[in-house]
Amino acid sequence: MIPELGQAALVVALALALYGAFAAGISGARGTATLLQSAQHAAVGVFALLGGAFVLLTYAFLTFDFSVRYVASNTNLGTPFYYRITAVWGALEGSIILWGTMLAAYTVVVILTQRERAREFYPWVLAVMLGVLSFFLLVMTVAAPPFQRLSPVPPDGRGLNPLLEDTGMITHPVALYLGFTGFTVPFAFAIAALATGRVGEAWITLTRRWTIIAWYFLSLGLLIGGWWSYHVLGWGGYWAWDPVENAAFMPWLTGTALLHSVMIQERRRMLKLWNLALVILTFSLTLFGTFLTRSGIIASVHAFTQGAIGAFFLGFLALVVLGSLALLAWRWDALRSAGQLDSVVSRESVFLLNNVMLVAAAFTVFFGTVFPLLSEAVRGVKVSVGAPFFNQVNVPLFLSLIFLMGVGPLIAWRRASRENLRRNFVGPILVGVAAAALFWVLGVRSALAALSLALTVFVTATIVLDLARATRARLRAGESVPRAVGGLLVRHNRRYGGFIVHLGILVIALGVTGSQAWSVQTETTLRQGEVAQLAGYRIRFDGLAGNEASNHFRVVGSFTVTNGRATPAVMRPAKKFYPQESSPIAGVDYHLGLREDLYIVLGDFARDGSHATIKVQVNRLVSWIWIGGLILTLGTVLAILPERRRPA
Amino acid sequence: MTRHRKFLIGGAVIAAALGYMIYAGVTQSAVYFVTPSEIQAAPVAGKSYRLGGLVAPGSLKWDPRTLDLTFTLTDGKASVPVRHKGAPPDLFGEGRGAVVEGNWSPDGHFKATLILAKHSEEYKAPHDAGTGYRELMKSLRKAGS
Amino acid sequence: MTRLWRWLIPLSALPVLVLLGYGFRLNPRDVPSPLVDRPATAFALTTFEGQPVSLESLRGKVVVVNFWASWCTPACYEEAPVLERGWRAWRDRGVTVVGVDIQDTAEAAQRFIRQFDLTFPNARDTSGRVSIDYGVYGVPETFFIDRQGRIRYKHVGAVTDDVFRATVSRLLAD
Repeated sequence: MIPELGQAALVVALALALYGAFAAGISGARGTATLLQSAQHAAVGVFALLGGAFVLLTYAFLTFDFSVRYVASNTNLGTPFYYRITAVWGALEGSIILWGTMLAAYTVVVILTQRERAREFYPWVLAVMLGVLSFFLLVMTVAAPPFQRLSPVPPDGRGLNPLLEDTGMITHPVALYLGFTGFTVPFAFAIAALATGRVGEAWITLTRRWTIIAWYFLSLGLLIGGWWSYHVLGWGGYWAWDPVENAAFMPWLTGTALLHSVMIQERRRMLKLWNLALVILTFSLTLFGTFLTRSGIIASVHAFTQGAIGAFFLGFLALVVLGSLALLAWRWDALRSAGQLDSVVSRESVFLLNNVMLVAAAFTVFFGTVFPLLSEAVRGVKVSVGAPFFNQVNVPLFLSLIFLMGVGPLIAWRRASRENLRRNFVGPILVGVAAAALFWVLGVRSALAALSLALTVFVTATIVLDLARATRARLRAGESVPRAVGGLLVRHNRRYGGFIVHLGILVIALGVTGSQAWSVQTETTLRQGEVAQLAGYRIRFDGLAGNEASNHFRVVGSFTVTNGRATPAVMRPAKKFYPQESSPIAGVDYHLGLREDLYIVLGDFARDGSHATIKVQVNRLVSWIWIGGLILTLGTVLAILPERRRPA
Repeated sequence: MTRHRKFLIGGAVIAAALGYMIYAGVTQSAVYFVTPSEIQAAPVAGKSYRLGGLVAPGSLKWDPRTLDLTFTLTDGKASVPVRHKGAPPDLFGEGRGAVVEGNWSPDGHFKATLILAKHSEEYKAPHDAGTGYRELMKSLRKAGS
Repeated sequence: MTRLWRWLIPLSALPVLVLLGYGFRLNPRDVPSPLVDRPATAFALTTFEGQPVSLESLRGKVVVVNFWASWCTPACYEEAPVLERGWRAWRDRGVTVVGVDIQDTAEAAQRFIRQFDLTFPNARDTSGRVSIDYGVYGVPETFFIDRQGRIRYKHVGAVTDDVFRATVSRLLAD
């Protein structure tokens, strides 16, 4: 019942989406209002059907309906309740239907909010969104159907990949996909701008919030992915430059560039072509990311199953890229700048440099990721580049970006006078240099770490300076400090929201610097009662115990940890044995702290519990990465608040 | 010099710098995929390799005290002795495929710095069907008491 | 920019797209079985009906050795009918199908055989040695052995009618 119902819903949705896309497109070209209405109805219908299919699939998971092949592959009678829900998007077919459902929801929001505000663009925007939906529905009905029937119905399912039984995997795909699909809206507006010839600032103003929200969810998805990698995978790291990670990072980089370059177009009417190209590139990279992880052309620890789906994605990617770039070429003449870059020492120039660095980083990541393909195609040799390549090229780029983060918001538009430079930067630069000297005195010997920290201090100083100056001006008007600061934040929420986001990035940079420069680890085998020592911690092996959970067995090691200061703690890293998996999954135990995290992984152990091999890590400052994420959230919320017209 | 020219030159400088950094990065961190036959034929000391093959049954030796892991990787034609410091990762065992990353030691063995595990949806692996784990739990409970 | 030069913009994306398309011809996830073209390791097992089955006794035939388990859903469930069909269609043309049940209980395995009405010889790998000898990493895995006793192809995942027919015809023609 369910398989047929679900599949039918998807087929009808596909027909509606195709119809709606054409109807909206024709309406855009001819101005026929009735067709537009009809397309709108079709879009709502697609949302209802797709949403309904998604709910149906979830229902099948919750009721152990193993007649649906996808359910049987990803869950079994022992899977806990909440993981049965997240298992819906735990594998290929489910993730595509999740993507589609989000896209359909976004389309409805666009209908509700843009119908009146963006009359000229609206038909084209709707056409593009329904067009993209059609593609994903096509994939769902042909290449990766979630509602395939399994017959005969097996008595039990296979089970969820145990690595996915984690809170991180509940939120990580959802956040990431909200980000990916979110970028479809600015892209649709860009195409609408090109189609109508209105390539001025209008499309940018309309999509400002969409871009920020999509960018935020992408950032959140990346951070949660790092957190999941850190506390589940047992290697103590949060980022490995794995092709799948890179696939999400590239659109984030170009998306960040876009967030900044649109400000130049708003202010100076420049970079029209650049902004359109950047949106097209970002959206294409979101498709490319999915292509990369689904097609099997790049070997990765995350690799999913191959099949025809790769060809589908490549075909659609080609259509999107070639089509959008052709539109760009067609409207070339209208894309000339109204303004000009007056001076190299100006905010425009800094933003431009910011964009160049970000796009260069995105290119580097792209190059490194497809390098195995390239080398095999050109030289017939199978080569890949590992983490050292990405770090080597990207670290200087990121450090430059941090520096620019301090300069950009304070430097003047058009042409910065000497006075402007002196007022804004002499102080922070001195503070930064003093900080570097202080770090040296405190024992920091890594030049890279010292530079990174000094730059962080410099940028913080510029933010504090700007805030202090603006607050002082309001204090003169007789306000109290809290009201002055609060008023500033609300009145200029875009600017200060941006500052807080920058602060969040700085805090993340702090965490990354600390963990890369000062983390230590060791691996050792302990007999019962023996003690391992690392970075002031004493870890004593007490013993092993076994117990059963609903869908797995676990062997838990007991370790008493002391470090002279705090009270002793007991840590219990485990090895989880899932019957459907060939080998155990590590269960890491960790003790998080602001200064450092203690991290223990249970490796090999003796069956009689007499000895255990553990890997111990003391990871420094990692918690600041997650704190930075929280700050990022606050800054984003502030930045997207509706603007107040009157002074607060 | 016109402004236009300045930008072109600036752009070219940045592109050249980036190109150089990428080139340096690639040559320094390139890792070559080889099979046991290929590396036996022409091993180059100091070059980074990724060696893939089957862990020869009976060749696996693990000493928990010294953390020395030794085994032989074979592709049916040639065999390569591999040494690694550290516990074998999950998904690793005799008679199974494995990929190791490291370099060739002048002593005639492959020094692995990383053993890579592949997690695939399609694979379903043999398991103890519960009986093996029950024995394990029993022996641990005995040891713990 | 003159009218024609602007069309370089979309064209510039083509090399990258072609490169990605080229990627399909390669298959980096292929961990090629080092056992291909090597003599298949001998085995001697007892079927669920109590009959002996050994690789030696099947020399001269094309042998399809399929490793399966009753708990392996959905793939083993999908390929069981395929193997049975293949067995019935090709047994008179010099092809044998042997199923090896690994890491399973006898009752569950026999239930599986009854459910799919399998008539080709199925035996339990009680010692676990056979799956190790064949480097079996997961189930289902199917090995196609030629008439000289060499492993010629290893199929990972559920076997389809097309794969069965194509491989078996190729090995018979050799």
